[in-house]
Amino acid sequence: MIVPPEKTAVFICHCSGNISEHVDIKAVKAALKAEGISVFDYEYLCSSPGQDLIKSKIEEKGLEKVVIGSCTPSKHGLLFKKCVREAGLNRAMLEIANLREQCAWVHPDTAEATEKAITLLRGKLKRLDRGEPLQDIKVDIFPRALVIGGGIAGITAALNLADNGVSTYLVEKDSSIGGQMAKIGKIFSPDKLAEECAMCSLSPLMNEVAAHPKITLLTRTEVEAVRGSAGKFKVMLRTRPGYVRDTCTACGRCNRVCPVLVENEFNCGHKDKKAISMRFSQSIPKTYSIDPDHCLQLNGVPCGKCAEACRTEAIDFGQQEEVLELNFGAIIAATGFKEYDASLKPQYGYGIFENVLTQMELARMLGINGPTKGKLARLSDTCNLDAGNSNPGNSTTDFSNAPTTDPSNAPTTDPSNSPTNAPINAPTNDFTPNSPESSSLKEKLSDPPVPGRIVMIQCVGSRDEKAGGIPYCSRYCCMAALKHASLIRKKYPDTEITICYIDMRAFGFYENYYRAVQEMGVSFVRGRPAEVIRKSDKSLIVRVEDTLNQKILELPADLVVLSAAMLPSTGTRVIAGVLNVSQDETGFIKERHSKLKPVDSSVDGIFVCGTAQGPKDITDTIAQAGLAAARARAFIADSPKVLEHELARINQLTCTRCGDCLSCPFDALSFSESGRVVVDPLVCTGCGYCTEICEKGAVQVAGFTKSQLKSEIEGVLEAGDLLGFVNSGISSLTCDNIGNSVLSYPSNVKLVKVSTCLVVDKELIMHAFRHGAASVLFVEDPPDNPRAEVIFPLALRHFEKLKEELGADGSRLHFKKAYVPNTKGLAGTFTSLAREGEMNGDMVR
Amino acid sequence: MKPIENVPDRKLLLFKSCMVSQEYPGIESATGYAFDRLGVDYFVNEEQSCCTGIGHYTDLFEGLTTAAIAARNFAVARRCGYPNITCLCSTCYAVNKEACELLNTNAEVREKVNSIFREQGMDDLVYEKGDMDPRSNFYHAVEVLLSKVDLIRENKQLDFSGVKAAAHHACHYYKVKYQDVVGNPENPQLIDDIAAACGADMVRWYEDRTLTCGMGFSQLHLNRNTSLQVTKAKLDSLKNAGVELMLHMCPNCHIQYDRYQPVIEKEFGVEYDTVHMNIGQFVALALGADPYEVCGFQTHSVPLEGFLERIGAL
Ligand SMILES: Cc1cc2nc3c(=O)[nH]c(=O)nc-3n(C[C@H](O)[C@H](O)[C@H](O)COP(=O)(O)OP(=O)(O)OC[C@H]3O[C@@H](n4cnc5c(N)ncnc54)[C@H](O)[C@@H]3O)c2cc1C
Ligand code: SF4
Ligand code: SF4
Repeated sequence: MIVPPEKTAVFICHCSGNISEHVDIKAVKAALKAEGISVFDYEYLCSSPGQDLIKSKIEEKGLEKVVIGSCTPSKHGLLFKKCVREAGLNRAMLEIANLREQCAWVHPDTAEATEKAITLLRGKLKRLDRGEPLQDIKVDIFPRALVIGGGIAGITAALNLADNGVSTYLVEKDSSIGGQMAKIGKIFSPDKLAEECAMCSLSPLMNEVAAHPKITLLTRTEVEAVRGSAGKFKVMLRTRPGYVRDTCTACGRCNRVCPVLVENEFNCGHKDKKAISMRFSQSIPKTYSIDPDHCLQLNGVPCGKCAEACRTEAIDFGQQEEVLELNFGAIIAATGFKEYDASLKPQYGYGIFENVLTQMELARMLGINGPTKGKLARLSDTCNLDAGNSNPGNSTTDFSNAPTTDPSNAPTTDPSNSPTNAPINAPTNDFTPNSPESSSLKEKLSDPPVPGRIVMIQCVGSRDEKAGGIPYCSRYCCMAALKHASLIRKKYPDTEITICYIDMRAFGFYENYYRAVQEMGVSFVRGRPAEVIRKSDKSLIVRVEDTLNQKILELPADLVVLSAAMLPSTGTRVIAGVLNVSQDETGFIKERHSKLKPVDSSVDGIFVCGTAQGPKDITDTIAQAGLAAARARAFIADSPKVLEHELARINQLTCTRCGDCLSCPFDALSFSESGRVVVDPLVCTGCGYCTEICEKGAVQVAGFTKSQLKSEIEGVLEAGDLLGFVNSGISSLTCDNIGNSVLSYPSNVKLVKVSTCLVVDKELIMHAFRHGAASVLFVEDPPDNPRAEVIFPLALRHFEKLKEELGADGSRLHFKKAYVPNTKGLAGTFTSLAREGEMNGDMVR
Repeated sequence: MKPIENVPDRKLLLFKSCMVSQEYPGIESATGYAFDRLGVDYFVNEEQSCCTGIGHYTDLFEGLTTAAIAARNFAVARRCGYPNITCLCSTCYAVNKEACELLNTNAEVREKVNSIFREQGMDDLVYEKGDMDPRSNFYHAVEVLLSKVDLIRENKQLDFSGVKAAAHHACHYYKVKYQDVVGNPENPQLIDDIAAACGADMVRWYEDRTLTCGMGFSQLHLNRNTSLQVTKAKLDSLKNAGVELMLHMCPNCHIQYDRYQPVIEKEFGVEYDTVHMNIGQFVALALGADPYEVCGFQTHSVPLEGFLERIGAL
């Protein structure tokens, strides 16, 4: 957009001597005035009088284009944009020349700095000639959030979102929310030496979820597919039928009459649940549901006893699954963890010897709603009912030779033979089995001996570099072992407990707890046990080397408890695939930056928290869930989102719809329904890869078009210059930092900002050479963040290709990776390349 | 982990083992018998030599000689068009795999070996980097049998139901190259899965299951007592578990148990009822092979007659 010179003005800031002491502002003014351009200067342009000056001149003179010579645009760029906008100019009609960090501060010689300042301003003036007004790209963010997974992480995130006014869906695949925390009974806490009741903390939160007007809770529901992108995700949800209507009052009559006993996942596979049940007494929603795999009626065997017993006619065998498609602005994945399959370490006997448990199984046993009602016992002394069920499902080899009496395996037996005269339980308690077998279990349970010796084995699967193990520390298990040791010692003071460990990791304030447990008389042996052996009386021996005194010990044990590693849950792995977010080697959802972006996933608008992101305890889970909610809320609240960076723009007149540019590394380009190539503004990073692909030049990055860059080059270059194309991200910051660090480089180094070096094509480089550039340098961001990880290799390849295409001139093209701290290195590169260029330039001259 | 689907059944060089040939030749003939019936394409090449394993582990052969002999055997395998070296002995398996890695990654060794070949005018033996792949050119016969487990189950003539058996997976198979084992290297179940398919009642875990057989090559001769005590520990544990048949996959372990069981009985004043067999012999027997003509049980020290009669093989 060419406008007459009198409609253009330059404003130069003194920056209180920062600029004016090195740049002869008078000389600059004189030079530009000679070209017919009005120039104003002021002590502090960023001050309000400074801004008023700019605004008043725009109005007074009817200016259409403005160049400001000041500090780096990353400092006051937004401020100046706002200033000209208030005076009625489009933001594209403003250019800022960096006279401080990239001129005054790096060129100590006034004559040189002044000359450079003139070229920088000239470059911006020329660039403005090619500028087109830019429209703000705004995207509406759908004002609703989706939280996947109803453990403590998901519950916390959903409540935080809802309390902040965001309409939130909480989706849980099980029939109740609560997750693993509902199972663990008591929890260790960092500030007390006491164990708190998990359910006492969790249950009120669960009730709050159910009652919150801003939360829609969908249980038995999984995310099937996600389309669209940040701000407007289209999510398909599938809800399995529970066969019980909302009219259920949870009276439990159905449960009492149901003749089918099934394995209870909540109780680690103990067969103490009916085919119609609630997950646990405090389940939310407080509705019974039917297990369709085991219900007789649903498997073609007439029964319907529950329907007969129900007084509110809540049972509905005809319920169908439901599919829902909804829009969400942001998504939080809180899909949790699972325990490592300890049978992969057969030397510890898990799944082989019934008295070897995991910490979770011990937690269930110690839970008053657990299979033994909180009584510590050896499985071999208690259960003939469900012996062998401790063998986890995903073990490849089935060691259990124990007989199973699974009524559900025999759906053909006439259900009327089944007992119906079972004792009546407390209304909502579905943990007490009601069959005759269970009364025998009860008898057996009434007085089984308390195991006198317990050995716990730490780091089972964790911190294990062998093929079957995982390398990391699972973070919860040292504390869980201490907690269980403490609970047991309090209840059964005569029980001897030994913990075999590699290191005890009681991080932070938990050290107090560790010390207290030591003082309770729990023994600790430093060593990773080799093998657990069973003697004929079913007692066990743990063979371990005490590495502190190098003795082989054989520790007798009635119970062996394995602290199994924390792995991403199956649901976490599945959801990572559905959401297309990055995972780490073990399958946890990977955060974008472990310190700065700990809850952002690799996809914009999708966040992660809790054990779906990595092993952690409840305290850390809650803290992280709160942050995820805050981040998701901020994402939604920022609507319509004005995109800060410049994006690819398609010229529909020249675009032939060949589709070549659809190879965009971020998948930002697609064909619209009408066949046009369109840019998804939320996905496009403005990297410019597509500009290199499109042979027709139909796609350009707005603000960094070839003609803008060409003009700026013409303005800044003089014979013998080194022209640097600088990525507008980290690389630009690093260039500015050279100035901040009082380093210097020759004034014939001219830097031009680009979205990335991918927008620089061969023609631009030839153009630079024609206008005097002795050499050209690409300064690129290192592959340290997800965007740069994609762009850096492309930029490097692009550079190598150009170098080859340039033939003999290829030796004049250079590449440098810019790390923020490495200002010295970058200044050094500038200096050495510029010196080389000067010599060549001399020859040119 | 080595996926079982990746185990080939074509172009297998059935690698002769000196311990097999000299002590239990029935292992080779039985494995061949089984392979024939399972449609495995294999070849036994008389040009092939010992892998040096026994000598290597008793410090008689140093690494360079072992590598040179391996390079020669690799050339033999490639030349006859059967490049998938399939071992009957776990030591041959580990030695060959290790030598292949060394020849691929250590240019100095490779050059030294090749220069010896060239000096002697044996240019056809020269090994070029990558001629063999340590992962995809080396197998143990038990892996091949496991890959055919369904066929074995369908075609078995003899059922081992009611036979309480246990496996000893060789250390040189699952501990030396532990990243390249079929299944969990801390709990290999190859033999168990094959034998279970023939009806055997497998004791899949017993005390000290992962303990070595005790031979330790020179240890058997230098520290005889320790060596035999280790073997005894395992035999005791098998006895406690009521195991009557122990299945092997390596002639060295096989020797240690079968030849030394009577020695241990005598020296330690104990008695065992366990008999020993290689998994190849077991599969051949299941597929209908003759116990003596094919399986060569007459070469065993612990007599198998009682056992064979009981299961109806005699
Ligand atoms: C034995 C044991 C004892 C412990 N003791 C303590 C303690 O005392 N103190 C402490 O601070 N920490 C303790 N921990 C750790 C604590 O359990 C975890 O930190 C916490 O439960 C993690 O919560 P979460 O919400 O991240 O995951 P989870 O509790 O695993 O919740 C995930 C939820 O998401 C659901 N889900 C999964 N996939 C999907 C999907 N695809 N779609 C929909 N829903 C899905 C699951 O059904 C589940 O409800 C213990 C852990 C164990 C194993
Ligand atoms: S928390 Fe303790 S037991 Fe768990 S992996 Fe870490 S060191 Fe091992
Ligand atoms: S500028 Fe980059 S991200 Fe945007 S469409 Fe082009 S290639 Fe894709």
